[in-house]
Amino acid sequence: MEKAQDYVIEMLHITKEFPGIKANDDITLQLRRGEIHALLGENGAGKSTLMSVLFGLYQPDAGVIKKDGKEVKINDPNDATALHIGMVHQHFKLIDVFTVLDNIILGAEDTKMGFVQRKNAREKVQRLSKQYGLNVDLDAKVENITVGMQQRVEILKMLYRDNEVLIFDEPTAVLTPQEITELMQIMKGLTREGKSILFISHKLNEIMEVSDRVSVLRKGRYIGTVNTADTNPVELSRMMVGHDVQLVVDKDPAQPGKVVLDVQNLHVPSKLYKHDAVKGVSFQVRAGEITCIAGIDGNGQTELVYALSGLEKCSGGVINLEGHDITHAPIAKRSVAGLSHIPEDRHKHGLVLDYTLEQNMVLQTYEEPRFQKMGFIKFGAVREYAERLIEQYDVRSGQGPITKARSMSGGNQQKAIVAREIDRDLPLIIAVQPTRGLDVGAIEYIHKQLVKQRDAGKAVLLVSLELDEVMNLSDRILVMYEGEIVGELDPKQTTVEELGLYMAGAKRQNKEVSA
Amino acid sequence: MKTSFWDKEGTKSVLASLIAIIVGMLAGSIIILIVGLSNSSMGLSGAWEGIRLVIGGLFSTGRTASGSLTFGFNPTTFGNMLFRATPLIMTGLSVALGNKSGLFNIGAPGQYLAGTTASLYIALSIPTTSVPAWLVWLLAFLGGMLAGACWGAIPGLLKAYLNINEVLACIMTNWIAANLTTWLFDIGNLKNVAEGTKTSYVYKTTFNGVATSKLGLDKLFRGSQINGGILIAILIAVVVYIMLSKTTLGYELKACGANRYAARYAGIKDKRNIVLTMAMAGALAAAGAALYNLAGNTEFFWNTYQSLPAEGFNGIPVALLAVNNPIGVVFAAIFMSMLSICGQQLTNLTAFNEYITNVIIAVIVYLAAFMLVIKLWITKLRKQRGNRRVAGGEGKEGAK
Repeated sequence: MEKAQDYVIEMLHITKEFPGIKANDDITLQLRRGEIHALLGENGAGKSTLMSVLFGLYQPDAGVIKKDGKEVKINDPNDATALHIGMVHQHFKLIDVFTVLDNIILGAEDTKMGFVQRKNAREKVQRLSKQYGLNVDLDAKVENITVGMQQRVEILKMLYRDNEVLIFDEPTAVLTPQEITELMQIMKGLTREGKSILFISHKLNEIMEVSDRVSVLRKGRYIGTVNTADTNPVELSRMMVGHDVQLVVDKDPAQPGKVVLDVQNLHVPSKLYKHDAVKGVSFQVRAGEITCIAGIDGNGQTELVYALSGLEKCSGGVINLEGHDITHAPIAKRSVAGLSHIPEDRHKHGLVLDYTLEQNMVLQTYEEPRFQKMGFIKFGAVREYAERLIEQYDVRSGQGPITKARSMSGGNQQKAIVAREIDRDLPLIIAVQPTRGLDVGAIEYIHKQLVKQRDAGKAVLLVSLELDEVMNLSDRILVMYEGEIVGELDPKQTTVEELGLYMAGAKRQNKEVSA
Repeated sequence: MKTSFWDKEGTKSVLASLIAIIVGMLAGSIIILIVGLSNSSMGLSGAWEGIRLVIGGLFSTGRTASGSLTFGFNPTTFGNMLFRATPLIMTGLSVALGNKSGLFNIGAPGQYLAGTTASLYIALSIPTTSVPAWLVWLLAFLGGMLAGACWGAIPGLLKAYLNINEVLACIMTNWIAANLTTWLFDIGNLKNVAEGTKTSYVYKTTFNGVATSKLGLDKLFRGSQINGGILIAILIAVVVYIMLSKTTLGYELKACGANRYAARYAGIKDKRNIVLTMAMAGALAAAGAALYNLAGNTEFFWNTYQSLPAEGFNGIPVALLAVNNPIGVVFAAIFMSMLSICGQQLTNLTAFNEYITNVIIAVIVYLAAFMLVIKLWITKLRKQRGNRRVAGGEGKEGAK
């Protein structure tokens, strides 16, 4: 009995099945009072499902939940709230036009004769904010405060409701490095005051820094729980992925060949402002090398790619692909001329989410004779092709080719797009942030695929905001700043600091950048 | 892994539609019961008659000499049901095609009017003394479809190139069509003056010897208005089904409907497809109008500028009930037209009013909007049964 008292929450042998997939298979998670317990796993490992079970959004098919040693039944989020379990979601649940105070008390407000009693609430929130060092401006509207402060508002919401168990779902994804450090401090402060924290993440360094213990899930299964002090990032990533992970990309020196893509003095108008988003950019991409466009988000990279792929019209300049002028060619023609494109936004451009996986696999190629005859789709050929890609590129899904793209995990959606684009076997691959939001295993996989394509003599144009990716993967770096290419760097001879100076516009090469 | 019959998406959709229909029928019955019981001249027996007619009116054959209702196969009501279902199938297809491509075609009434006007003008203007009647019929049918396609293309063009919401554009073109139709017949010479008692009606197409072939169906359903139009409508439904599910064009249209940006990324011409979809939807609705008005036994009330044809709007509940499946549209349209036949029988044989059937349709449409909820509910029920079976140790399905 005494032993059970150590745990504030126990989820014992939880199993939850969805059509075709066991999201949680006999998972046990025990949260000690006053600890920060990290829940680590790749996308699709079952972290979100497990938390949804704890929060009453799903009912487990088997297993029990105990609070303070007593078995409880959580039928909906109201039950969870009554048990003092609170959650900060990855995407904040705040009302933009309400003040911070109103957002905090919303749903738990004191009223007298139908009027909201803000005075007591304000005192309580001020007390909490002082106690935990959560600095917020109670009268500011949420739309006017920073993302970091919005997160503090979410935390105050939980504290205002006297929650003892706090769940943080990927809390650092939206924060700047400084804000992340601050959040870590806050989390440690919360546990000192007796709160217990479940911290969901796949970022190893954060877990190492802040957590007391780590539980690892993989493909819906419980792998184990370790004390953070007794482990290291390499062991954790092995537990998470199931095999050793290379945290650094392994590749031979590039063998640049002929010019595949030649862009001269390209101008692209901006959708938001009067001036051009891309101002006279010229560069070349050669076969057998990964050319990377680096830069801080919003410096014209998106518009540049739209112009190259034909999603937006350019207002000046010439784009040559393998000797063909494709400056004004429609998208389908560019595809035939040799351009494949892993888009920045996989949900907006990359996939038709309501289509099945096999239908998505032929998104550009359905009109080729191998997939249609007289306008009738050859379903057998499409199925065979999809099955081959799924096998070859290890795309995992609940029901194979007939899985709806919407129901797949983000990593596998991205793998499906990468498989489709690479398998078209075209001379130029434009990959825009190909690993955004993915876990270690998927990132490693996609990096390997891109290097493999490079070695096969393809020209790869990588657009990335991640400095690690830029430094590790590329053979040549072009830095974009305010719609211009301000520098060409060799990743082997430059440093992250120097790259940062170019990206911030503090430094630029005077000479016109040539290939 | 093979999904069992009851777990298929299609089965669930059909079940959900059937549940909507049953609940609608029950609601209608309850209303009849309340009205009957609160009215001393009708009472329980009167209400019971009403309920029987609302559910089985299709099989009603009248009353015996002693005054009790008789039921049996009634070729007239059956034939009329199929005849009235014909335009509904077409407008239902029109709306369903739009929905599949991500466009809400509320412009079916206007497209229906465009089809009516064009087909009547062609059918009554080309003299059958010089051109064979079947050719005139064919020209009128195709001409009507063409007019509907053009009319439907207008909101399509506005949506594709000026990003104007198709619902707004459709509603406006509906009323333009209503006024244009009235004006065109007002200045034309097709007003029925031969039968002096009638005002604001156009000649029947039989005045020019043009009528849809009966194809022998009138022998099967004696005394009804049925003709070959129903077979044409079913054929078109099959063509639309094949187009949507088996061809690259259908793949493109549905991709545009589900995610316009991804379709554009893939090189599909999304703007062209929006215009094409609306034009095809317009042609389908107009084909319904042509089939109805070329029947030979129908008359068109041309002074219509203050109202829009119900057949156009009823395409929306038909498509909803059919979950936008073209084959489902055929059944949904026949069902809707059966309800209106039942309503007619109710009016003819009892003191109840046929508008009771409108209540039933309303309940069904309301529930059809909850289709997803009903489907989830079925899934849950199946799951619970499955769990019980496994727990009970029978585990037959569990093993598979």
